[in-house]
Parts: sequence; structure tokens; C-alpha cells
Amino acid sequence: MDSPKILSQFFKKTWIAYVISVTLHAIANIIQVQFPRVLGDFTDALQLGQLTWDGVLQSGWELLAIGISFTVLGGIAQYLVMYTGRYFEYMNRSRLYQQFLQLSERFYASNGVGKLLSYFMNDVTAVRESISMGVNQTAGASMLLISTIVMLLLSNVPLYLVIACIIPLLFIPVIVVWIGPKIKRRSLKVQEALSAMTASAEEQFAGIRVTKKFAVESIMIERFGATVDEIRKRQLRLVRISSLFQATIPFLGALSLIVAMVYGGYLTVQGTITLGTFVALTLYVRMLMNPLQQLGNVINVVQRARASLERLNDLMRQKREIVELEDAKPLDPNDAAIELRNLSFSYEAAHNGELDKQGRLALNNLSLTIPQGTTLGIIGRTGSGKTTLMKLLLRLYDAPVNCIRYGRHDIRSIKLSSLRESIGYVPQDGFLFSTTIRDNIAFSDRSMDDKKVYEAAQHARIYDNIMDFPEQFDTKLGERGVTLSGGQRQRTSLARGMIKDAPILILDDSVSAVDAITETEILSNIAKLRSGRTTIIIANRVSALKHADHIIVLEQGSIIQQGKHEQLLSEDGLYRRLYELQEEGTRA
Amino acid sequence: MAQAIRNWEMDQKSESNDPNTPKQKQKFSSSFRVLSVYMLEHKKTFIAFIICTLIAISGELLQPYLLKLAIDDHLMIGNTEYRSLLLIGCMYFGLSVTSLVFSFFQHNLLQKAGQSIIASIRKRLFEHISKLSMSYFDRVPSGSLITHVSSDTEAVNQFFHQVVLSIVRDGFTLIFILVMMFQLDVTLTLYSLILLPIIAAIAIAFRTYMRKTYQLARTRLSRLVAFTAENLSGMPLIQVFYQQREQSRQFNEKNESYFRANLREIRTNVIFNRTFEVLNNLAIACVVWFGGRAVLGDTLAFGVLYAFITYIRLFFQPINTITQQWNTLQAANVAIQRIWGILSIEPEVQDAKQPTKLPTPIRGEIEFRDVTFAYVDNEPVIKNLNLNIQSGQMIGVVGTTGAGKSSLISLLCRFYDIQQGNITIDGISIKELPQHDLHRTVGLVQQEPYLYTGSVLDNVRLFEPSISRETVIEACRFIGADLIIERMPEGYDTRLSEKGSGLSAGERQLISFARILVFQPRILILDEATANLDSQTEQLINRALDYVSKGRTTIVIAHRLSTIIGADRIIVMRKGEIVEQGTHQELIQINGIYKEMIDYTQGKGQPIVSY
Repeated sequence: MDSPKILSQFFKKTWIAYVISVTLHAIANIIQVQFPRVLGDFTDALQLGQLTWDGVLQSGWELLAIGISFTVLGGIAQYLVMYTGRYFEYMNRSRLYQQFLQLSERFYASNGVGKLLSYFMNDVTAVRESISMGVNQTAGASMLLISTIVMLLLSNVPLYLVIACIIPLLFIPVIVVWIGPKIKRRSLKVQEALSAMTASAEEQFAGIRVTKKFAVESIMIERFGATVDEIRKRQLRLVRISSLFQATIPFLGALSLIVAMVYGGYLTVQGTITLGTFVALTLYVRMLMNPLQQLGNVINVVQRARASLERLNDLMRQKREIVELEDAKPLDPNDAAIELRNLSFSYEAAHNGELDKQGRLALNNLSLTIPQGTTLGIIGRTGSGKTTLMKLLLRLYDAPVNCIRYGRHDIRSIKLSSLRESIGYVPQDGFLFSTTIRDNIAFSDRSMDDKKVYEAAQHARIYDNIMDFPEQFDTKLGERGVTLSGGQRQRTSLARGMIKDAPILILDDSVSAVDAITETEILSNIAKLRSGRTTIIIANRVSALKHADHIIVLEQGSIIQQGKHEQLLSEDGLYRRLYELQEEGTRA
Repeated sequence: MAQAIRNWEMDQKSESNDPNTPKQKQKFSSSFRVLSVYMLEHKKTFIAFIICTLIAISGELLQPYLLKLAIDDHLMIGNTEYRSLLLIGCMYFGLSVTSLVFSFFQHNLLQKAGQSIIASIRKRLFEHISKLSMSYFDRVPSGSLITHVSSDTEAVNQFFHQVVLSIVRDGFTLIFILVMMFQLDVTLTLYSLILLPIIAAIAIAFRTYMRKTYQLARTRLSRLVAFTAENLSGMPLIQVFYQQREQSRQFNEKNESYFRANLREIRTNVIFNRTFEVLNNLAIACVVWFGGRAVLGDTLAFGVLYAFITYIRLFFQPINTITQQWNTLQAANVAIQRIWGILSIEPEVQDAKQPTKLPTPIRGEIEFRDVTFAYVDNEPVIKNLNLNIQSGQMIGVVGTTGAGKSSLISLLCRFYDIQQGNITIDGISIKELPQHDLHRTVGLVQQEPYLYTGSVLDNVRLFEPSISRETVIEACRFIGADLIIERMPEGYDTRLSEKGSGLSAGERQLISFARILVFQPRILILDEATANLDSQTEQLINRALDYVSKGRTTIVIAHRLSTIIGADRIIVMRKGEIVEQGTHQELIQINGIYKEMIDYTQGKGQPIVSY
């Protein structure tokens, strides 16, 4: 484990701030412990009858000066540490985001967004808290503790009295470390119950049609009620321990004071210490309560943060999977015929770097040439490898060497930027970002001319829908904006892919949620616009690709049929079966 | 910076677009009136809480007084009688134990009452929302409903947790300290009281500013998180479009603006806390000056001065805590207004005063007579529609998006009330039927079947305990789902959920068909139920469909025409009206819209629109 990685980078930049802060803390606390001494001296002078008005005035000024300088110096120290803490968040969130941009599809497939966000939010914050709190409170508390003990000894309080008074206080950090995690656990349980309730409400409101249609509202209300009762139960469990904790700390402080009062009082009566020392002692005891509690907190926070730090370091260590060769060349748009040579691929094996060991083959020995300027149709059932093939062509995963070639070059020796700029891609799910419709369509180059955006929207047959929105192309999508229907999303995503006007266009089942008439229109638009350039259409439906120059039928990663539409129809095979299923009855 | 503030202000504005947010600023008094009803239910617990608080505070605040006794009566005058010093020690110990015990009870009692109140508010709110009409769910996004049920009620929880606790505890503490101070020395106390308005003024001024900086930071944080979350989900797209640089730029902008807001927030916090501390020190210095003079003049005992300094230090803490409550109080106020705003909404669709029961056996004959319906006034989506469906018939409904197909079935389910005309089942107007009966009579299978968190078994019977396991298994066998279910890891007890059930669209659809078989509605509506399936599963579904629709009046809304070719009658809708109807053959012969649609499916047609 080399956890210090993130930290060392950070401290390298900020150590000066910490040195200044700790120094200021030290000075502030040395000043602060003068407070009881001044009052003690005041008391002694008073008891001895030596107190004059000037003395009173001076004591007041001294107290004020102590107070203000402690406040100001401590404040600056505190702010410095908090500032660097926030800087830590800022810096590491940026680094995390850069890392997120590098990580590959495989990483995202095995790590949910929720988990990654938790790195981004909770773990970064946990480490920041432990750094800020750790430095501020440890510096503050330990300085205060040391200076207090030194002051007590200097002011002639016998060591055994100091120890007797401090013993009960020493239990404070012990209790904090002991009970603190318990409280944390129970409060996590409360949080879990709360999110269970939220989830239950979410489920109920999302499925309200079903609930209403089957008239089972009362049952759902009961189910929700159970989650609410669970929250109450757990809240009460939490408060039992947290209130005990809250009450115990001042109690321990009071015990210390009792010792100071009874034992110290006895020594005062005996004349071993002066009244002034006694007064100072009780004030010191009060002063120590807070820092000792804080020290306990620091231990807890640091412990929690250690796990977070490890997770963050692990994440930052993740190597990126797709690496550009140093002598990579740009893709030549005039030499972009695609060639597959005995392409086999398995997700597991590619990860381990070795092919044809274990692992189910997602693609099995595919050979195919797509001449520049032609249209290829790919059809097959769910799981037959259609999308896998697309991901390899886009180099979201690395195919084995020499299996995919663009023109004269292997895919691995092409610059990533040039490869991806040369391919227009329309994914299956029509994912859109929460920004304006315009920026979504012009995603590949947001400084693009508006006219091109309108044109693309027209080609994808989404223009009229957009013009119906109150703010037209400036309409915002997402949470606070408009929600598009499945078909509208797909068509917007289609416009986004087509606007690139790229040498190669890939449509991954991109019109499945569009009605038959619109589908036909879109397909004929594509055919018109893409003449002379390479287009790959993946579809579940025969109707979407029957005009392709060449069609391949995939089944379990292999090409089982290929040819033109009519030719495939004349063969007895999956293609014809799918066609008949889909067109069944419509040919009356 | 200015830009960000403008954004934030816009956010604030757009929040008030929420239909449940009260339009004007509401008075606190009405919120308390609402809550007091609940609080009265727990009167005894609250009284016990207040008593415990009083005892706990006394236990704590009498402690400095005891020290004063020790100093003045013993140490100062050199009283060597050690026993009474020991006695004071014992009393001190007693006070601390009392304080410990009662502050424990104080918290527990308050939480007990508060949590019970929140639980019943949550249940009431949820029950109320569940009973609202579908039109409400169309208007209000489910996200905001979830916010009301979870966050708003949590804000009310904070009210009990913090505001009530602080007002009672810190309020009493303040009063108690003042009483003790007056008890010790009147003049000195009066001098100290001058401080009170100054402290309060500074606290309030700072709080307002702090709230602003806090909210600014919050808004920017939520923007940063939303941006990151979305980018994580869309990462392959960013990479494929090679937009890392542009996205990075946007990210850095958001990250930096959050950083700045953060700095402003902590700066304000530090300055505020430190100002408070300086004031505290100033107060102590004043006490030393005034008190010292009095001590010199022998009008004040030193022990009193000592206790006074301790009390002055304790004085600041409760004021600080109480002023902190202002934000929580405001948040709770808004939340309460919102919650009660929802509670005051009446469901638009209501049962008749004296509902009629459907005569059994239900035949399932449906009639739409001169039905006109508009979601928004003067924009009818269904116009003067007449339709009669005989018992046991299967009707197909086709038409482009926006033709009114889905509205038609929503009306039959009485999700909305029609403006004109009448809809009857077996001759009885659906307005006369209890909604519960109507909904159990008319079954609906949607395009995207919804799965609840629970076992396969419970998903089929929708947690209805009166439906036995055997019934569910039998239903699944009939529609051919049992083989798929038995292959699952725990068969019928396999846990499902909406997200990540691992079921294909077809398998989900089979479960929703099983629901129909188990609940046995006499009338069945299929709303584009087979649109999302791949061809293989579709066959299985079609077989299940045949089985399920047997003996039921069935209405099929179809996206793809193949599903309705065999219907007894096909209805073609356009702009809220029926424009063609008849069997498949008849419609083909009419050579109208239907024929055109068939042609497009087969790819024979040319695009109608060209540009």
C-alpha cells in the first residue's frame, strides 16, 4: 500500500501553509494559557490586599489582549488549514475527473456511477476532513495540553495534583474513540433506513400506474409504512447512545473539577498552594475539556479517512487500457476501407492480455471487408456480438493485433483522436446530456454553425419536434428541463452522429423506438446523404437494413449468413425466419 | 463571480416553479399551528422533556455557584474546616450525576416524540399522494414528490431535533444564567445586559450573510455533482466523440466556482466565530474592570467575581446556538407549507357519493358515447368519440403518436374525468363505480412493465396476501413463464427490482401478463405491450397474449401492426377522432390511412414529407 501518493503530492504544494498554521497555533495557545495565570495573579494580589485600581485595570487589559491575540492568530491558523483543505478537494476532484476521462469502457461496465460518485464526493471529503481537522485540532489541542501542563507546573502546582486532576479528563479521548465509531455505525444505519424509505417512495411513484390499475394502494401504503417505522426504530437506537455520549463528556469534566476543588481546596487550606493557583487550576481544567474531546474526534476521523485514501489511491493507480502508440498516424479519410481478419474477441481474455485462453468468445473468427463507400447491415439476436463488434471498431476495447485494419493501418497504429473523429457513432440508448438541444446535437464541435445543426436535425426528422418547444434549439434537457420521449431521444442522438459528416457512420440499432413511417424517412435520408461513404447499420429489424449493399447475420459471435437482402431471403436460414416473424401477417 | 450569482438567483426562481411551493412567504404561526396538533398528541412526553431539561440545566449551572461557595466561604477567609469543603464536593458530584442522567432522558424523550410525529406525517403524506389522481402525477414530476416525502419531512425532523431542543435548552439556560447572575450581583448583571442586544445584532447580521454563502456553495456543489454524474454515465460517448478537452474545461469551471464559493463560506464562518470570541473576551475584561473595582471597594466578594466570569463565558454558547436555528427554522417552515400544500390537494377524480356495484357476472361491454376530453381547456384530444365494444371482443387501435390512443384508455381507466359524454361498462357509467372496483375490472399491461423490489412471487401478486403461491405458479405456467422463472437462482423467491433485475424486456412482460391472470380483470388493455421485444421473445409473448385475452374484452394499442391483424375490429385514430374502422381485410380495401401504414411497414412507401 502506498497511500501517501495522493497526500505527498498535495503536501508538496501546501507544506508552507501548514508550517505557518502550526506555528500560529502554537503561539496562539501559549498566549491563551496565560489567561488563568492572569486571573490567578489577580486573585493572589487581592487576597494579599495588594490589589490596586491600576492592577485591576492592567489585568483587564491583559485579559483582553490575550483574548484578542489568541482569537486572531488562531483564526488565521484555522483559516489557512481550512483553505488548504478545500484546495485539496479542488485539486483532487480535478485529478479524479482527468482519471475518469482516461478510464475505459470496461472499467465503467464493472463500476457503477454511484460507486464512482462516492469516490468523488465522500472519499475526497473524508480525506479533506481528516487533513483539516487532523491538523487544526491536533495542533490546537496538543499545544494547549502541553502549554497548560507546563503552566501548571510553572505556577507551583505540585505534579501529583496536576495528575490527579487530569486523570478523569484522560478518559475523554478514550470514550470518544470507543463510542464514536458506534455512533457512526448507528447513524449509518439511520441513513440506510432513510434511503430505503426514499427508494420505497421512488418505486411507488414511478409505478403508480400499476398500483392504481390493480387497486393495491393500501398494500403499498403498508409497505411504505414499514420503512418509516424502521427509521424511527433506528433513530431512537442512535439517540440512546449519542445522548449518553454527549452527557458523559461534561460529566468527566465535572469529575476533574471536583478533584481540583476538593484536593486543591484542601492544599489551599493547608497553605501548600495559593488561592490564585487554585483559581488558575480550576480554569485550566475547564480549558482542557474541549481539546481532549477534539483529539478523540481526530482519531476517529483519521481512521475513517484511511480507507477513503486507499480507495482514492487505488483509483488513481488504475492504468488506462487503451493506449495510443507513440508513432500513431492519423486516419486517411480517402483510405478507410475496413478489414477484419480472423477477429476473435473475448471480454475476459482481452483484459488479461492473452487471447484464446478461457472466457466465452464474444466474437469468433470474423473475416470481412467493408469497401470504402458501401453500406453494411448487421443483424442478429440480442447477445450475438453486434455491439461488441462496434466497440472494437471504435477501439473502446482493444482487439488482438492485426485483426482490424483501416485502410493500410492496423487500428492500434492510428491516432485515437483521428480514429474517433473519423467515425460518426449513434449508440443504442440515445444518451443525451443535460444541456441545450443545440449543444447536444453539436456535441462533436460546440462552436459549430447553427445552420449545420438545423440541417442535421432535419435529416434526423427531429427538427419539427424541437421547433415545437418553447425555446426551440435552446431548450434545456434533463432534470430541470424538458424530458424527451424515447423516439425523440433516439432521433436527437441520430442528428448528433450525422452532423459529423464523418467518413464512417455507425448506427447501433438507432431507430428502434421510431415509428415505421419516420423510420423509412430517416433511412432514405441516410441513404441519400451517405452515398459514397461507409455506413454500418446494426438492427433488430430486417426493414432497417434491407437496402444495404451487404448484410451479415451474426449468431453467437460468428457470421452465419451474408449477402444481399434478396439473396438471404432465398436461403433457408435465420435471416428469412426473422423476416417472416417480423412481417408475419402484414403481407395479407 | 457575478455570473454565478445570477445563475444561483435563477435557480432560486426556478425552484418556486414547483407547483407545491407556496407562492407567497408564509407566516411561521400557521406552520406552528399545524404542528401543534401533532405535538398535543404527545403532550405528556413533551412536558416530561421540558422537566428533564430544566433539571439537567440546573444541575449544570449550579456548579459554578458551588465553586463560588467554596472560594468565598472557605478558601478566601481561610476557613480550615475541611469537612464542609468535602460536602461541597459531594454536592458537586451529585449535581453532575443529575445533569448526566437528565440530559440523557431529555434527548431520548424529545426524539421519541419527534420521531413519532415525523413517522405519522410521512405515512399520512404518502397515503395522501398515493390516492391522488393520475392527472396529478402527470403534472408533478415524481422526483419532486420524492423530495417532499423524504427531504421535506426530514426538514421537519430537524425542527424537532434542533430547533425545539435549542429553544427549550438554550432558552432556559440563558434565563437560568441571568437569574444566577442577578442573584450574584445586580449591578454587574445590568452592565452585562448591555451586551445582549449587541451580540444578538451581530449574530443575526452574520447569519443572514452566512446563509447566502452557504446556499451559494450548496448550489454550486450540486451542479458539480450533477455534471460529474452525468459525465460518468455518458463517458463512452465523450470518448467516442473525443470531447475530453471540452468536458474538462466545463468541469474545471464548475469545480473552480465551487471552490471559490467554499472559500467564501469558510471565511465568513471563521470571521463570525472569531468576532464572537473577541466579544466574549471583551465582556470578560469588562467584568474584571467593573467587578474588580467593586471588589476593591469591598462591595463584591471575589468568589462572586469568579462565578461571574464563568457565567459570562457560558452566556455566549446558547446565544450562538439559538441564532443558528434560524436557518433550520426557515427550512422547516417552507417544508411544512409544502407538505400541507400537498395534503390540501383533493383528488380530481372522486368516487360517487353512493357508488353502484357492477352486477356479477361482469360481461365487459364497453360504450363510449359522444366523449370529448381535453387535458387543457379548449384543446380537446378526444373529440365527440363514439365506440361500442361487445363483451369478449378484441379491438385493435392504431394511429400515429398524438392521435389520442393512450388518452382513450386513460379515460376508460378513469385516470381523468371526461368533459362531455359518457363511458359505460355493462351499461353503468364508470363515474358511478367505486374506483377500486373499476380498476380491478379493467386490467392494463403497459409497454414498460414495472417491477417492484421483492420476489418474483410478490411481483406477480403485487404483495396481495390473499393470493396464494399456488395461484401465482399456476398463472405463470399457463403463460409459459414458469420455465424461465424456475431457471432463476431462487425460482419464485428470486429478488427482483426495477433497476438491475437482469430480466429481459420480454421476461418482464411475461410477469405483467401473469399479474393479469392472477387478478382476473374482465376487461384487458394492452398498451403497445409488445413494442420493445426482439422477435424471438415476441413469439412467446404472443402465445401468452392469446391465452390471456381469451374470454376477455381486449383492447390492443399497437405500434406494430402485426399484433392486431387478427382483431375482431381495428380502429384507426387521427387527431382524437376515429377515422376508419373495420377488420383488416375491410380496411385494406378502403385503401386509406391503414393501407398506407401497412405499406410503410413493408417498406413499399415513399416518404410523405420531403424537403
